[in-house]
Amino acid sequence: MNRSPPFPTGARVLSRVQGFLDRLRAEGVQVGVAAGVDLGHALDLVPTLDRPAFRESCRVTLAKSPADLAKLDWVFDEYWSSPATVPVPPASEEGKVPNRRERRGSPGPMPPRARPPRTEEVREMIEGRYSPRAPPTGHALAPVSPSELRRLRSGARRFRRRVATLPGRHWHRAPTGTIDLRRTARRSLRTGGEWVELSHRDRTARRADLVVLWDVSGSMREHTGPLFALVHTLHRVIRRTRVFAFGHEIEEVSGLFQGQSYARALPELTGRLAGTGGGTQIAHCLGEFRRHWGAVLRSSTTVVIVSDGWDLGETEVLGSELERLRHQTAQVVWVNPYAAEKGFVPATAALKVALPFLDLLASPADFPRPHAPRHLGRGRSWAG
Amino acid sequence: MTDVPSSPAFGGSVEAVMEALSRERYVIDRGLATAAFLAIRLEKPLLIEGEPGCGKTEIAKALAAASGAELIRLQCYEGLDASASLYEWDYPRQLLEIRLHERDRTTAQLETEIYSERFLLRRPLLRALEGRGPVRPVLLIDELDRADEEFEGLLLEVLSEFQVTVPEIGTIRATTIPLVILTSNRTRELGDAIKRRCLYAYIGYPTADKEVEILRRRLPGLPEHFAREIAGFVQRLRGQEDLAKRPGVAETLDWAAALLALGEGSLRSVSVTETLGLLLKDARDLESYRQERLDSLLAAP
Repeated sequence: MNRSPPFPTGARVLSRVQGFLDRLRAEGVQVGVAAGVDLGHALDLVPTLDRPAFRESCRVTLAKSPADLAKLDWVFDEYWSSPATVPVPPASEEGKVPNRRERRGSPGPMPPRARPPRTEEVREMIEGRYSPRAPPTGHALAPVSPSELRRLRSGARRFRRRVATLPGRHWHRAPTGTIDLRRTARRSLRTGGEWVELSHRDRTARRADLVVLWDVSGSMREHTGPLFALVHTLHRVIRRTRVFAFGHEIEEVSGLFQGQSYARALPELTGRLAGTGGGTQIAHCLGEFRRHWGAVLRSSTTVVIVSDGWDLGETEVLGSELERLRHQTAQVVWVNPYAAEKGFVPATAALKVALPFLDLLASPADFPRPHAPRHLGRGRSWAG
Repeated sequence: MTDVPSSPAFGGSVEAVMEALSRERYVIDRGLATAAFLAIRLEKPLLIEGEPGCGKTEIAKALAAASGAELIRLQCYEGLDASASLYEWDYPRQLLEIRLHERDRTTAQLETEIYSERFLLRRPLLRALEGRGPVRPVLLIDELDRADEEFEGLLLEVLSEFQVTVPEIGTIRATTIPLVILTSNRTRELGDAIKRRCLYAYIGYPTADKEVEILRRRLPGLPEHFAREIAGFVQRLRGQEDLAKRPGVAETLDWAAALLALGEGSLRSVSVTETLGLLLKDARDLESYRQERLDSLLAAP
């Protein structure tokens, strides 16, 4: 019979719990000191010899997302099934073993998944997730110049204004608009309750809500540098932006952009995309996006698909997925790195299918341009 | 560990939480019960994320009902601010007070008077902090992901210190720490600061057996075999990859109640077609699940 090793008791528990926290951190679960203290308090309340209760206490106190829960489950089984503490990989610069987070980016909002089997073969499969049909080509992220970055930021701000035109629930002071009775009353306190001057208010335009689906397959390799600058700028300028990288599979990489300057995010992304290659399946990835992250889409969301449109997937499915996406969101923008080239026509099968569902087909070069069309027209190019 | 007060209804164990919630007809698994128990005993807010309609809000209601506590609910939305969630001055009454006493009081006296607690309109967060009594109130901050990031900042002081600062009055501290339940549908990622202050639980779609149990508890008039049929069908429907919006438990309950009201005793193609709108809330989903697909789902084992 397969029996678990005896559970440590007393002082040994503390050192093993510390080892468990270190193991989780090495796997990319951000366990703070406060969470560790919470676990300590929780272990005072639940019987530590009760393995399910101990596991649940760890889940409740240490995890902060569904992805954390999934990681915690398999680390828990791995760690607490062995009599000795599983060593954490060395972190020296030279022989640094990349942890799961470094290899795969920040944990996205995937629902808890079944624990992966603990075999090396599976790890290899995860490494090559973007390019199962082609050898990894890697992405050299050439930095763009500071002046180009500034121009991109200006363009992104213009883009932000354009995608945030609906009136929201926020009110702000305005010279005209509806009378703000509350502010008027408050101001009248200064003049002994006399309503000397009326204050007005107006609705603030709803904030831009952006989802960027970024194709990082092999065919995009030569454009990845400028496109990364564009995606980073959009994430920086528009606060409510979530970024998803796709090729053969899709995953959220917003965490790699969060709070990172362009200079700091660049080398991290370079390492992160080192194993990606060809084999784009846009339809499959859009389907996966809908299933796992469909809840992030609102009627005010703008979806930006950054891709060259070279697709190995089924175009019919792509059409229906894009139709759904268009139906659920405010607008769908396709950024094609070739769109600015002379004589460009959307000739790839994927683009032909996509065109009826797009509000805008743009080129990365369109963003820094000061004079872009005011209204987004379905299927029109930015310049057209 | 300090001796923290807990609600008498929950005793001192996870099992007691499960029993208490079970009496309120809330079907809870051990994981979520542990989360609730620790939130009660550690006096930490509990953040519950998960699929829509799977019981995140219900657990707060059940906890309040089980302990006989007051449920104070704050529904979040875009633009929610301090005046709607924390407190606001009662300006009309302040004006009236000024008018009434402008002749017999000095300006300083009037100012002190109109900025006293008498003129404070208490919103849900402040009401939860001011709760006094033997039972801790339950504060439900629902769908936090709908609120702005700035509102999360406002919550930090409330959730970590259980106090708020009103500049004109001072700091108001909770005498009885409320049991705080926050829910999120994950339409956006919540900030790390708020997550750090909370315990965490995730509620996914239930298993078939659990869904049958929920149906039986919530709809006592539903025969066992019919509950199994309904749960099985919903489980198969949820498994369809092309659905834009998967039905949650709330939809299952509504659907089962509707079928009962129509006098159905088992799933028939006609009644399913007529009532499918209670399960599928997306026009495209409804359109794509026409007769043939429904029949194949009904026929599946």
